Amino acid sequence: MAMNPMEQFKIEPIVPLHIGGYDVSFTNQSLVMVAIVAVATLFLSFSVSSRRLVPTRLQSMAELSYEFVQGMIQSAAGNDGMRFFPFVFTLFFFVLFSNFFGLIPGVFTVTSQIAVTFALAALVVLTVIVTGFLKHGIGFLKLFVPHAPLPLLFLLVPIEVISFFTRPISLSVRLFANMLAGHTMLKVFAGFVIALGGAGGILTGLAIAPMLLIVAISALELLVAFLQAYVFAVLTCIYLNEALHLHGH
Amino acid sequence: MSEGASSAPATAETTGHHEPAGFPPFKTETYPSQLFWLTISFVLLFIVVWRIALPRIGGALTARKGQIDGDLGAAEKHRREAADASAAYDAALAAAKARAHGLADENRKRLNAEVDAAKAKAEAEAQAGMQAAEARIAQTRNAARAHVAQAAQDAAAAIVQQLTGDNVSADEARAAVASVSGS
Repeated sequence: MAMNPMEQFKIEPIVPLHIGGYDVSFTNQSLVMVAIVAVATLFLSFSVSSRRLVPTRLQSMAELSYEFVQGMIQSAAGNDGMRFFPFVFTLFFFVLFSNFFGLIPGVFTVTSQIAVTFALAALVVLTVIVTGFLKHGIGFLKLFVPHAPLPLLFLLVPIEVISFFTRPISLSVRLFANMLAGHTMLKVFAGFVIALGGAGGILTGLAIAPMLLIVAISALELLVAFLQAYVFAVLTCIYLNEALHLHGH
Repeated sequence: MSEGASSAPATAETTGHHEPAGFPPFKTETYPSQLFWLTISFVLLFIVVWRIALPRIGGALTARKGQIDGDLGAAEKHRREAADASAAYDAALAAAKARAHGLADENRKRLNAEVDAAKAKAEAEAQAGMQAAEARIAQTRNAARAHVAQAAQDAAAAIVQQLTGDNVSADEARAAVASVSGS
């Protein structure tokens, strides 16, 4: 039994694999990622049939997800943001399923790894940069020049540049830290339950307190899991909107 | 009791088997594997979403919207047809009522006329019968009167003959009767 709350974030190889001198073993994390893809594919593709007038529950959920992400993109990035629909949808679902899967006891939390969240955030910022330059050419650099008097620009442009390039950090650390903190907290309180339960006497009875707390925190974590996926996707939409329309034109 | 308390830290230490200890997410030696499998699963999910899931869900949504719109259109068309049919029925009913009314009126008039004609004819016939009867009565009365005068005349002649033994001529007797009856 692992009492160390960090134990749950440890990546353990299942099938050792080395390609070009790199250790790319199939790990407990890889297993969950593959499971996410499998479940998401089943949910999003095979539950949907256009022949049904009245959708099944699963199809209804898939349709709601579709319209949810569609609405998110359209409100944040306008209609020409819809070309990023598959990208934002994939991002949202990958993060959402990672967060939800992590809440199943014993299942590894993919998004509790900074490598994963940073890679996703970097992918977002890279997409923004490529889109911006493809759409506006060198004019995309105007993104860093806000409407302000010239003397102020000497101050504002560096700030804009810094804020732009810290985006991948804030985007990835927000998700990573939320997942890490939530799961650590759950594990710590679970440790209390075991320690108190084994202590005997009146302390055994007290074990109910952290137990109830775990139940409450689990509900909170469910909300956080959804909220963080939503925040990640919405921020992606907002950044893409800037790349498409510069200063909100 | 004390065993449980003491065994917990012990197991943590024995199962922890810390390799130089550290914060798992910051262990860079796991990064190649993480990024490798992340790329594979993300690209796989992206292809599924892009090529299969979104077209499929979008197709289902548009199909449903099309069907609902089509059904609503058809319902509206049927409603309009029903309203038209109802209006046509009302018109037909009104026309039929008017025609029936006309026919009844005409019938009543015709029957009234027939009845009146029959009544008039019957009255005329009755009148004629009555007049004929009155004529016949008058004739009979006159005849009777004539007979009474004849009888009086004959009686007078006979009485005179019996009393006097004279023959009285018919003209004398008639004159005598006429002078007595005052006509």
